Order: sequence, then structure tokens, then C-alpha cells
Amino acid sequence: MRNIVAKLCATNTLAKLCAFVLSAHMIRIRRHLLVAFLALPLLGLRAAESPMTPSQIDQAVRLESLTIPMPGEFFAAINKLERPNWKQLVRTGTPEATANRAQIALVLGTLVADGYIAVEAQDGQGVKNIGKEIINLAKKLNVSQSVLGRGNSINDFAENNDWNALREELEATQNEVKLDMFEQKDSNLVTLVSLGAWVRGTELTSGLIERSYTPESARLLRQPAIIAYLLEQINSLPQAMRDDPLIARLRVTLEKSLGFVNAETPSKENVTELHTAMSSVANAIATGQ
Amino acid sequence: MPRRAIGIMTRLMQILVAAAVSAGVHAQENPSPSPAATESDVSARSKALELAGAFSNDGYKIRDGYWPGEIEQNRPQFLEVNLFSGNEYWFSAAINPPGRKIAVSVFNEKGKPVDFQTYEDGQVAAAGFLPEVSGRYYVKLALIEGDKAQFCLLYSYK
Repeated sequence: MRNIVAKLCATNTLAKLCAFVLSAHMIRIRRHLLVAFLALPLLGLRAAESPMTPSQIDQAVRLESLTIPMPGEFFAAINKLERPNWKQLVRTGTPEATANRAQIALVLGTLVADGYIAVEAQDGQGVKNIGKEIINLAKKLNVSQSVLGRGNSINDFAENNDWNALREELEATQNEVKLDMFEQKDSNLVTLVSLGAWVRGTELTSGLIERSYTPESARLLRQPAIIAYLLEQINSLPQAMRDDPLIARLRVTLEKSLGFVNAETPSKENVTELHTAMSSVANAIATGQ
Repeated sequence: MPRRAIGIMTRLMQILVAAAVSAGVHAQENPSPSPAATESDVSARSKALELAGAFSNDGYKIRDGYWPGEIEQNRPQFLEVNLFSGNEYWFSAAINPPGRKIAVSVFNEKGKPVDFQTYEDGQVAAAGFLPEVSGRYYVKLALIEGDKAQFCLLYSYK
């Protein structure tokens, strides 16, 4: 990170001037002073920063596209602890057909998470298959032609093993589907896509952490704010959708799961309970039961 | 042309094309964006993207979403994010004139400032952060100099 700041610093005029001065035959103490001067505005804690007020905390903006992390972000953190055998985790098979639009949106979210798993596994064919399934489901929700074009991009990037581009494309596809839903006055489905992706991502990671529990890995599951946000979104759905048995089950599971992820370091029992809950609800999303 | 440059140009093109399409979504977040505000929004995004592009050179992935809005002095804006311990983050922001200088900072879930790295260069600024604890954080954007201006904030991680 320090290197990046230095690189950026090199692009500003002051830094260029300072670099010139540093390269000259300056006495040691002046050089140290200049380095310290440069570092002050660039690095470290802003000393004058005061804590947020309660009203600032209450009024903080929440944007689903930034406040809720994508599965890729979760998996990046997992990889730093111990890279799992992602190839074994790629899910195969076609989702069961359904006409329930809420379920389709949830399944679509789980597929986006599966797409990230296939990317981590560097399984090009797997990514292509999942991309096709995402587009097929999106068609059922009457999304626009531009979303369908994303399917081609996913294929092209998978063909070229461009894994970083695929990560971006999966997120962009998800966001474009959500945008289409929003424009078609289907905004109730938007949260369900995020919810599906989060459930599948959490099912997978809690399973990995359960198998080789360490306090450090368990800390990744500390996500009460995300669950609280998803619950708020579910509670704001129209009554008819909230009465859908699948949505009702999701709400109960999320409420129960809040207790498993509140501690700074969730216990092994909490991780096991979270994994059981997420597996059960992920299965319900896939089967509609 | 270097691969990163192509990537950034492609992204900028996507932003320009997407601007009109996304106006509907931002209309809800930002109640009355005028056509001029949309152009300004795109310009702030381009600048923020240019800054975030420097981080992607070092392996940081830029989230597809972005936070647009308007900022004025003494009225900082806060964004809630959920971060994972072990990951590294940069929050890059830019403003348009008449805004002249901005700053980005990070707070923990209790609203207390945390230790972070900063990059500030007038109309663009960034905060780099390595959370020790997973969970909720707040990113603050403050206008230090200049008048009310459009801003855009992007989020990168690795």
C-alpha cells in the first residue's frame, strides 16, 4: 500500500520537486525532515478527525452496490488465510425450473456466487455454464438485451482465462440485472438477488471455516450489519411477497443467524450453526421447498 | 497500449454509456439530478476511476458500484460499508469544480476514527485501510476547500 501512495505521490508536482531535491546532495538531517514532511499529509491517522456523531451514524448512506460485499470480496479474504481447493467446490447442475419470480431472483443471486467460485477454481467451462444459467434466468425476468450481451462477454473472458475481468463482469452482470429490475418496477426483486448471493457465499465460507476452525477465519463471518440490512429489506417487501413461504423461511433464518455472527470472534458452535442454517436455506432456494 | 489503460478506457466508455441508463436508479438515491448534474457526475466518476486505476495496477479490484452525490463544506457525507479482516481496501473519490479539495477518512462501527493511509491531491483523494476486525465501517467524504460540488466515490479491494 505504501508503494502505491509513493507511486501516486510521484505524479504530483510537489512530489516531483521533492524527489529532485532528495536526489541532490542534501545533508542527512534535511533529507529526513523532508521525508517526514512528505509523509505527513499522505500517511497515517488524521489527527484532527473527531468521532462521528450519533446522527451522522444514523444518516450514513447505504448503497446496496457498495454496502453489501460481493462474494468475490469474501473469497479474497478466505484465500489469504488458506486457499481452499476451489475446484472441489464448484457446483454443477441446472437449477430447478420455477415460475416464482422471487425464487428466480434468489437463485440468480446464488448463481452469481457460484460464478465467483468457478472463477476462483479457474474453471472456464464452469464459468460459461453458470453464465448461461444466469442469462436463462434473467430472460425469465424479462431483462433487456444489454444484460443478454453480458453472457457473451462472460464466455469471451472465460475463453481467454481472464479471471480478473470475469470477477468484474459477474458483478457488472448482477448490477445490470438489478438495474433492469428497477426500471421494470420490479425493485422488490433487487434485494433478493443480493440475498441469494450472500446466502450461497456464506454457506460456502462457513462450511470451509467449520472444517478447519480458527478464531482468525471465524472473524470473517462477523457480519451482523449485513444481516440486519437484508432483514430490513425483507421487512419492506410487499405483504404478499413476505407471505411467500420461501421468503418467510429466509426471514426466520436470518433472524436466527444474527445471534451466530454478533461476537467479534464467532465460536466453533456458532460457525456450525450458521453453516447448518445457510445450507438449509440455500437448499430451499434451489428447490423452492 | 498497456492492458490497464485499455481497461480504464473501456470502463470510462461504459460509464458514459451507462450514465443515461443509470439515471433512474440514482434518481431515487439523489432525488433531483438535472441533465447537467449527470454530466458532472460522469466527470467526477472519470477522475475517481483514474485514481482507483492506479490501485488496480497493484492487484486491487474495483467494485462495479459507485457512490455519486453532492457535497458542501461542513456537511460531510458518510457511506456505510462492510469489510473483511485480512483484505486491503482503498476508497477513491473525486469532486468537480467549484469544489477544490476533498479528504476521505474511515471510521469503525462505533464512529471512531481508525488508522488508515491517505492520498490527497486537491480534487481527488483516497483512504487505504486494512481492517483488523470484519464488520461495519463508515467512509467519510469531506469538502475541505471550495463550494458545493458533485462527487463520486469508488471502492477497491484485494
